[in-house]
Amino acid sequence: MKTLTHNENISLILSMGLMLIIARIFGEFFRKLKMPLVVGELIAGVVLGPTLLGHFYPELSELVFTKNINASYALGGIINVSVIMLLFVAGMELDLSLIRQQGKAAFTTSSLGLVIPLGFGFVAAYYFTPYFGENSSDILAFSLFLGTAMSISALPVIARTLMDLGLFRTRVGSIIIASAMIDDLIGWILFSMTMGMLKGSANHSIILTLMYTLTYAVLMLTFGRILINKSLPWAEKHFSWPGGFLSISLGLAFLGAALTEYMGLHAIFGAFIVGIAFGDSVHVTEKTKDIVNQFVTNIFAPLFFVAIGFKVNFILHFNLQITLLVIGIAILGKVFGASLGAYLGGLNKKESLAVGFGMNARGAMEIILATLALQAKLIGEELFVAIIIMAVLTSVMAGPMLQWLLKSKVLQKSEK
Amino acid sequence: MSSDAVIFEKIAVAVAFSPRCEAILAEARLLQQTFGSNMVFIHVGKNSLQEELYLKHLLHRFGLDQPENKTIWKEGDPVDVILEICQQEKIDLLVAGALEKESLLKYFMGGVSRQLSRKVKCSLLMLTEPNIHPKGLTQIVVEGTDHPKTENTIAVAVEVAKAYHAKKVNIIQESDLSKLALIRSDELKENEAGLRKKQLLKEEDEKLKEILRCTDCGNLEVKVERIEGKPGYVISKFARDCQADLLVVSSPDKQLNLLDRVFPHDIEYALSDLPCNLLIVHSKEQD
Repeated sequence: MKTLTHNENISLILSMGLMLIIARIFGEFFRKLKMPLVVGELIAGVVLGPTLLGHFYPELSELVFTKNINASYALGGIINVSVIMLLFVAGMELDLSLIRQQGKAAFTTSSLGLVIPLGFGFVAAYYFTPYFGENSSDILAFSLFLGTAMSISALPVIARTLMDLGLFRTRVGSIIIASAMIDDLIGWILFSMTMGMLKGSANHSIILTLMYTLTYAVLMLTFGRILINKSLPWAEKHFSWPGGFLSISLGLAFLGAALTEYMGLHAIFGAFIVGIAFGDSVHVTEKTKDIVNQFVTNIFAPLFFVAIGFKVNFILHFNLQITLLVIGIAILGKVFGASLGAYLGGLNKKESLAVGFGMNARGAMEIILATLALQAKLIGEELFVAIIIMAVLTSVMAGPMLQWLLKSKVLQKSEK
Repeated sequence: MSSDAVIFEKIAVAVAFSPRCEAILAEARLLQQTFGSNMVFIHVGKNSLQEELYLKHLLHRFGLDQPENKTIWKEGDPVDVILEICQQEKIDLLVAGALEKESLLKYFMGGVSRQLSRKVKCSLLMLTEPNIHPKGLTQIVVEGTDHPKTENTIAVAVEVAKAYHAKKVNIIQESDLSKLALIRSDELKENEAGLRKKQLLKEEDEKLKEILRCTDCGNLEVKVERIEGKPGYVISKFARDCQADLLVVSSPDKQLNLLDRVFPHDIEYALSDLPCNLLIVHSKEQD
C-alpha cells in the first residue's frame, strides 16, 4: 500500500480538520436561522472553495486544500466513502412497514408526486436540452436524470418541518412521510439505472440496467433482509455491541456498494438498499441506529457537503435562466403532482396543497444526486448550481408554506 | 363464572377433526359459561354420518348441545365458508385452533387460522395450546398503541380479564421512534431530541390515561408499560417473555396480503410466531 508523504499527510489532515470545524460553525449559524444544517455546510464549501477563498486568496486556498495532488486524491476517496455511508443512513431511515400501512392517499400522492415531476423534468430535458446549458450526447440518460432530480424528496427536512408544526402524527403528516419514502426509494432506483446507462461507465441497455437494478433490490430486500434479521441476534451475542453493529452494517454497506458498482450501477444504490434491509430489522434499536446516524451525519456528511463547494465556482457558473427554469419545473411538477395525488386520495384542497409543498422539499438527497451526476459528467456546472439552489430554496420554503396552508390545524394543536 | 357485560353474544367455533378438537371444544365450553353466549359450530367438509355422530357425542360430552346452539356443515374452501357463515350468523367471536409456528411455506401460503386472522370481520381467538381441562387466564397482555381502535380493544381485554378472574393485565404502549430518527439525523441537540421524544409520547400517554379512566377495571391489576421497538414485534416478544396466557390486539386496518408477510408489520410479527393465545379484537364501530 502506498503511503502519503509527511507533507501530504499534514495537508490531508489539515484540510479535513478545517472542513469539519468551518462546516459546523456555518451549519450552526444556519440552524439558528431555522434552516437545515446542510445549507450551512454547503455555504462553508462555497466560502472555502474557488467561489470565495480560491477567488480572493488563491494561494491560501491552494496551500490548504489543493496543493498536494496525492492528498487531494486521498480526500476524494474519503468523500466517496462518505456519500456511500450517507446513502446507507438514508436507507436505514426508510420504514418499509410504514409504507405498507398507508392507504390510498399515500399511494396516489406518491405515484403522482413521482410521475408528474418526473414527466415534467424528462420532457423538458429531452425536448429543450439547450435551455439547460447542456449539449449531452446521452440525451436519454440526461433526461432521466433531470426527471429523477425533480421527483426526489428530502425526508429529514420534511419530518423536521412537520414536527415543528406539531403535524407529525396527523393524517396529513403520515401521508407526506410515507409518500416521500416511496418516492425516495423509486427515485434512487431510477438514478441508479440512469448511471448504469451512462456511456463511459457501464453503458448497459435500459432493459439490462432495469433488470440488474430490480434483481439486486428484490433479492436484498427479501432474502438479504431476512438473513440480516436472523443473523443479528447471533452477532449481538458474540460481538461487542453496538460497536459490532457499526462494523458489520457499514461493512455490508460497502460490500453492497462494491457489488452494485461492479454490476455497472452506482455504488450508492448498493449501500442504500443494504441500509433499508438493516433499518427494517426488529433487532436494530433506535439507540443503535442513532449511533450510526450521529457517526455518519456529523463526520462524513459535512466533509461531503463542504467538498461540493470545492467542485464548482458558484458565482461564475450561476445562470439565472437555467436556475429559474429548474426551480419552476421542480416546484410546479412536485407541488402539482403530489397535491393532485393527495386530493384524489381523499384530502381536501388545502391539505392537498400542504402535502404538495411538504413533499417539495428536496434537501440533502437532491444535493447528493446532483453532485454524483456532476462527477459522472452527466450535467454541467451551471445546471449543477441551479439544482443546488433549487434544493436549498425548496427546503427553506417548505416550513412556511405548510404553516400557512395548515394554519387552522397548527392552531388547534397549539391550543391543545 | 359469568361476565356482567356480554361482549361476545354469539361465538362460532371452527371444528376440524384434529387431535386438538376435544381441547378446543373444552375451551369453547368455558367461553360459553363465561360469557353466556350462543354457540355456532362450523365444520367445513362432507357431512358423513360417522363424523356427525362423533361431533354430536363431543358436544354432548362438553355440555354444548343446548337447543340454542347450532351446528353448520358445509363443503367448500374452509376460509371462505367460515367467513361467509360468520357474516351470515353475525358472529361476535370466532374461535380456531392455531399452531404456534407454521412451516415457512405454509406461513407464506397461509394456513386456515392465519388466513382467517387476516380476513375475518369479527373478533378472532386463536388458541395455540387448547387444554381439555381449560386453565383459564392469569396474565393478559394488551396492545395500548395510540390508535382509534385501542379504546375498544382495552375495554374488551379488561372484560375478558374480569370474566376469567385474571390476575394481571399488562397494557403495552409500543413506541416506534423511527420517525424521530428522521429528524434526529437532521440536526437536533441531544436535549432537543429528548424533548421531541417527550412531546411525541406525552400525547400518547394522555390518551391512554383517558381510556383507562373511562374503563371499569374493578380489582384488576393493570400495569402500563412502554417499550420501544417495532409495533407488533415488541408486544409479541413481551407476551412470550412474561409467559402471558393471552395477547389481545386490535384487528388490522386493512386486509393483509402476501406483501405484508414478506415485509411484516404489526400483527404479522405475532402471526409469524404466536407467543400465546391471540385475541384479535374487531371493533364493530369501525365497520
